[in-house]
Amino acid sequence: MVPVYNEAEVIGSVIADVLTVCPTIVCVNDGSSDASAAEIVKAGGYLVDHPINMGQGAALQTGIEFARALPHIQRFVTFDADGQHLVADAVRMLELLATEELDIVLGSRFLGDTVGASGAKKLLLKAAVKFSNATSGIRLTDAHNGLRAFNRHVAETMEITASDMTHASEIIELIAANDYRYREVPVTIHYTDYSTSKGQASVNAVNIAVDTLLRRVTRS
Amino acid sequence: MIIVQFLLIAAFLFLFYVAIRSRTAHSVSASKKLLFFALMAVLVVAVLAPGLVTSVANLVGVGRGTDLVLYLMAVAFGFYVVNDYLRGQDSRNQLHRLARRIAVLEALERYGIDHRDEADPDAVSDDVG
Repeated sequence: MVPVYNEAEVIGSVIADVLTVCPTIVCVNDGSSDASAAEIVKAGGYLVDHPINMGQGAALQTGIEFARALPHIQRFVTFDADGQHLVADAVRMLELLATEELDIVLGSRFLGDTVGASGAKKLLLKAAVKFSNATSGIRLTDAHNGLRAFNRHVAETMEITASDMTHASEIIELIAANDYRYREVPVTIHYTDYSTSKGQASVNAVNIAVDTLLRRVTRS
Repeated sequence: MIIVQFLLIAAFLFLFYVAIRSRTAHSVSASKKLLFFALMAVLVVAVLAPGLVTSVANLVGVGRGTDLVLYLMAVAFGFYVVNDYLRGQDSRNQLHRLARRIAVLEALERYGIDHRDEADPDAVSDDVG
């Protein structure tokens, strides 16, 4: 599943890349104002079209709900649309899912290589990990990685309600709440000029922290 | 002084009238209606008898009645903001679920994928609850 918001420039090549290793790709076009939808159809991906812009977390949930309606799909991968992930990493994660007793495999930047990230970004991401480990009770080295692989059990039970970037923390909370068997594997993130310009601003960390705490308060 | 009292009370009564007459009023809980009515009543009394507010303020250790009103207003505003935020999130979640359902159904239809057997996860959870 690939959540897509105004990625017409790169989505075609990302889809072509993924299709070399996966038989099916579901792209959720999150109300893009550019030609993303047309590019998805042209590249041969399943297109699910949000009527309005709802955020990346909402797009992921939509992708999961569409993909689980496809009966032949047993393993699922979430992949960012901006080309920062490597399909080779996704393949490794799917193999792990097939051979080991795991429900979900998470990509981690800090077990692997990070190409092109600034020092400040690394520092912020590390702080985010500390925060996530403290609030979720699950120990990870990377709390906000878009590359994840999981089985049908997880797809059937995953219910992401956080619509914006907070969904990454919410997924970790769901792993804890549903007792998914999880493992982290090193993945390479390629920060290109394109992905950096599209990525989230660092101030967003404050939003994520506040929303995570609010979720804990309102759910308990 | 009389003019301002008249204007303030007219404003409170108008607010009360609008709230009661509102077409969605029946969906608001009775306790909230009572609370709103009590608030309006207190405000009318406070406007008519400012001395009373000051005595109450002195009773709880605040010097002036206006200060007490200010503090209470600050607290009430805080509650309002949080309540409004949570309600906004609730209605946003509902909107998102609706839009997601439309998007998924439309896509399944477009690709000719049989989805009649697919249980609606939201409907299922509603049945249970």
